[in-house]
Amino acid sequence: MHLFLLGVSHKTTPVEVRERLDFAARGLGAALEALGRRPSAQEAVVLSTCNRAEIYVACDEVPAARADLLGFLAEYHGLEADSLAPHVYERVDADAAHHLFRVAGGLDSLVVGEPQILGQVKDAFAAASEERTVGPVMNKVFPWSFTVGKRVRTETAVAEGAVSISFAATSLARKIFGDLKGRTVVVVGAGEMGKLTAQHLQTQGVGRMLITSRTLAHAAALAGSLDAAALPWAELDAALGHADIVISATGSALPVLTRPQIEQVMRGRRNRPLFLIDIALPRDIEPAVGDLEAVFLYNIDDLQAVVQENLARRGAEVARAEGIVAEEVRRFETWLAARGVIPTVVALRQRFDAIRRRELERLQPKLAGLPPEAIPRVEEITRLLVEKLLITPTEQLKSTPDPERVRAYADALTRLFALDAEEPARREPGRDPAAPRADHAGPSVTP
Amino acid sequence: MNAIPLLLYLAAGILYAFYFAERRASVGHAATAVLGLGAVAHAFITGMETMAVGRMPIASAPEAVSMFVWLLALAYLYMEMATEERALGVFIAPLLVALQALRAVSPVVDKKVPILESPWFGVHVASLLFAYASLALAFVVGLTYVLLFKEIKAKHLGFFYKRLPSLDSLDLMNARTVMVGWLFLTVGVAVGVIWTIQAKSAPVVDPRVQAISLADPKILASIVSWAIYTYALYARKRGFGGRRSAYISVIGFAIVLINFVPIGFFLTRSHNFGG
Repeated sequence: MHLFLLGVSHKTTPVEVRERLDFAARGLGAALEALGRRPSAQEAVVLSTCNRAEIYVACDEVPAARADLLGFLAEYHGLEADSLAPHVYERVDADAAHHLFRVAGGLDSLVVGEPQILGQVKDAFAAASEERTVGPVMNKVFPWSFTVGKRVRTETAVAEGAVSISFAATSLARKIFGDLKGRTVVVVGAGEMGKLTAQHLQTQGVGRMLITSRTLAHAAALAGSLDAAALPWAELDAALGHADIVISATGSALPVLTRPQIEQVMRGRRNRPLFLIDIALPRDIEPAVGDLEAVFLYNIDDLQAVVQENLARRGAEVARAEGIVAEEVRRFETWLAARGVIPTVVALRQRFDAIRRRELERLQPKLAGLPPEAIPRVEEITRLLVEKLLITPTEQLKSTPDPERVRAYADALTRLFALDAEEPARREPGRDPAAPRADHAGPSVTP
Repeated sequence: MNAIPLLLYLAAGILYAFYFAERRASVGHAATAVLGLGAVAHAFITGMETMAVGRMPIASAPEAVSMFVWLLALAYLYMEMATEERALGVFIAPLLVALQALRAVSPVVDKKVPILESPWFGVHVASLLFAYASLALAFVVGLTYVLLFKEIKAKHLGFFYKRLPSLDSLDLMNARTVMVGWLFLTVGVAVGVIWTIQAKSAPVVDPRVQAISLADPKILASIVSWAIYTYALYARKRGFGGRRSAYISVIGFAIVLINFVPIGFFLTRSHNFGG
C-alpha cells in the first residue's frame, strides 16, 4: 500500500489554472464520491483551498494511480489531461507525508505560518471521514499532520507576529490598550482601506466605533455595514477627545489631522494614550503629530515595515520548523515501512502453512496407523510449531526502526523463500528437506 | 543560613531570564515554583532567627533588608497570581539576589535594644518594609513601561514588545503598587513621628533618638521619597499617568534604595540599632 499525492498549488500553477481546479465550488463530498468510483483510490482525501488543490490516496500501484488521478482531475473539471500535466506535482509515501506535514505546518503557504491552512486540512479530513473514503493510511497520516501543524506553531515562531497591515494595526492596539473592550475607535474617511482595518478591529471586540466623512451619507453607509455610528465631520475634534484609536484613510490631498489640532485634543486628554493609524496615501496625519507625548502614530509604511520584520522573523524560524517536519516524517516512514511488510508476513505464513498441510497430506498413510484421537493432536502440534517458528522473525521485522532495513529484510524474506514465485515447493516434493523432520515430529507427540 | 534563600532566588532569577528569552511556559512555572520555595525557606529562616534572638530580625539595616527581600518576593508572587504574567520576574529577581546577598555577608546581631521594646517599633518597620516592597514592584513595572513605550513610539517592535504585557496593564499595575506603597509609607512615617515624640519625653533619652531630625540623611531621604510618591499620586489624579508616572516611580524607588542601603548601613545616626 502506498500513500500517493497528486496536486497543484500556488508554487507550480498560475491562478488561471488553479481556479479551474477548485473543488470547493461543487462541494468536497461530490468530489470524494466521484473519486471513490475510480479504481485506483482505496482511500482518498481532497484538500482544496484558494492556493492549492491536492488529492491524497492510498493505492497499490503508483503508476496506475497517477494516470487514474490525472484523468479524474481533468474529467471532473472538464479540462485536457495533457494541459494539466505540466502543472501537477506528485509525491509518494514518505515524500507525500513530508508534503502534507509541511502544508499543515503552514510551511508551504504563500505567507509562511498562516493560521488558516491547518483548519482547512482538518476540514478536508473531516469531509473524507464523513464520505467514508478514509482507511488505515489516511486515518494515520492526517491526524499525524495535525500534530505536526500544532508542534510547528507552538515550538517555533513561524506563526508569530502580524503579517498583514490590519493585523499589525490590531496587535499594536492590543499592546497599547490591552483589552479592546470599552475602547472607542474613530474611523476618518469611508473608503475601502479604512473599512478593512475597522472590520478587523471590530472582530477584536472594540467598545464603540464612530465613522466620519466629509460627506455624512458615505459615513452612514459604511457605519451601517459595520455596526458603527456615523459622526458629522464638524464633530471630529470633540470625538477625538474620547477616542483611543483613530484610523485615518481619506482621499484628501492635504493633511486631515494637523499637529496643532492634535495638540489641542491632547491637552484635554492629558496623558491618555492615543493610537493614530494613518493608512491614507498621501498621508492624512502630519508626521510631527507623532512627537507628541502619549501619541502613537503609525502610517502605512510603518505598518508595512512591521509586517516585513515579522515576515523576516518567520523566515528565520523556517529551518527549525523543517527540522520538526523531517523528524515526524522519519517516524511516519517507520510506521509506513512496518505496514509495508504486512503482505510479506502474510505470504510467509501462507507459505509455511502450505508446507505443513502438504506434509501432513503426504504422511497420511503413515498417520493412519495412529489411534484416532492422536490425529487432531498431530494437526495442532504442527500448527503450533509453525506459529512459534514465525513469531520471532515477524516481531523483529515489525519493530525494526529503520525503514530502509525493514525493506531490505522484507526483500530478503521474499527472495529466500521465493515468496513472489508460485508455490515453488510443489516442484520438488521428493527432495523436500523438511520431510524427514516432519516425519519424525509426527509420531513423537504421542506419548 | 541566609545563603539558602539567596541560592533559590538566584536559581529563580536564572529561570525567569530563560523564560523571558525563550517564552516556554514550563520554564515560567518552574521559575515561580523555585521563587515560592525561596520565599518559604526565607520565612523559615526568619522564624528561626526570631526565636533565637527573641525579637523579629528587623532592628539592624541588614536584617531589615532581608525582611524587605522576603516581602518583595511575596508581593511579586501575589502580583504574578493576580495577573498571570511572569515577564516581570526577570526584573525583580536581580533585586532580590543583590539585596539578599548583602544580608548573607553581613554579621548577625543578637543583642536586645531597650528602645525597640516599644510596640510602635513593629508597626513602624513593618509598614515601611511593606511600602518598600510595593514601591519596588512599582519601580520594575515603571521601568518596563518605559522600555515598551520607547519601542512602540520608535516603531521598533522588538524584544520587549513581544514579551511584556500591554502598556495599559503596566500602567494599571503601576498605579496600584504606588497607591499601596504610598499608604504604607504614610503609616510608617506617621508612626515613626508619634514614636519619636514619645521617646523624646522619656526620662532617659537614647542618643539615637536625640539624633532624629531632618538633618539625619535617613529621615531626610524618607521625607523626600514620601513627597515624590505623593506627587505621583497627585499627577495621576490629574490625568498624567503613563510615562510620567513610570519615571516618577523609578526615581522614587532609586531614592528608597539609596536610603535603604548606603544610608541605612553607613550614614544614619538615628537608625543604627545593629552596631
